[in-house]
Amino acid sequence: MARATTTSDVFNAIAEPQRRDILTLLRAGERPVTEVADELGMTQPGASKHLRVLREVGLVRDRKAGKQRLYDLDARGLRTVHEWTGGFEQFWNESFDRLDAYVQELKREGQQE
Amino acid sequence: MNSTGREAPARSATADREIAISRGIDAPPELVFKAFTEVRHLSRWWGPEGFTTTTRAFEFRVGGVWDFVLHGPDGTDYSEWITWTEIVPPERIAMLHGEYRGDPNAFESVLTFAPDGETTRIEMLTVFPTKELRDEAIKKHGAIEAGRQTLGNLAAYVAEIVRKGVEG
Repeated sequence: MARATTTSDVFNAIAEPQRRDILTLLRAGERPVTEVADELGMTQPGASKHLRVLREVGLVRDRKAGKQRLYDLDARGLRTVHEWTGGFEQFWNESFDRLDAYVQELKREGQQE
Repeated sequence: MNSTGREAPARSATADREIAISRGIDAPPELVFKAFTEVRHLSRWWGPEGFTTTTRAFEFRVGGVWDFVLHGPDGTDYSEWITWTEIVPPERIAMLHGEYRGDPNAFESVLTFAPDGETTRIEMLTVFPTKELRDEAIKKHGAIEAGRQTLGNLAAYVAEIVRKGVEG
């Protein structure tokens, strides 16, 4: 498979652990780049670069608030990833995970009878 | 997957419109089969984490129907209609799965439960009416093996993010 460039491919964008950390942080709410850098122990240029990549693939959006720019998760981009990965097989693999957990309960009930 | 050392079976005539899933379950086939036989069991595990079901009608016999709504964690409801076409306790269940009675895009899944020591090997073979419908299901759901291997961890991670209510 040809590798898409990071800046255009949502999956490559998320393959980078620091960018996943940023997404996880932004779950708690929007943040300016300074706070993203501080909380994750990145340099500000580093955080800026990661945020730009995330914005370009549609996972993060930003808005101006006074003098600063606030970054927030973009649900639409995330949903695309979710649908792409959460497919037919994923549906059943996860169902079978839950089936496995449930039959353990049935097993225990059976032992009590 | 257990390697049996046998030659791979010849491609079936329906290979280009199938999806095959295989899975080990840590319980004997009788218990795995039991989990399919009543709504009180099915509702506990059908669908990924975070999904729930509301059953309109259920009868577990050949020709019987399970008519239900699947509720996604993001609030999306999916109409589901299943009829059992074959039931062989505790080793085999075949079903026709569509969105409503008479759905022309309904597809057939055959589940087999094979004892494997103390555990069960589930094989699920789903055959779509046409290659186009299979491809659509693959595209729609992204059930692409290569993608799954690359993105297995990501899938769980993103599912978690989406579940935590991104749209706030």
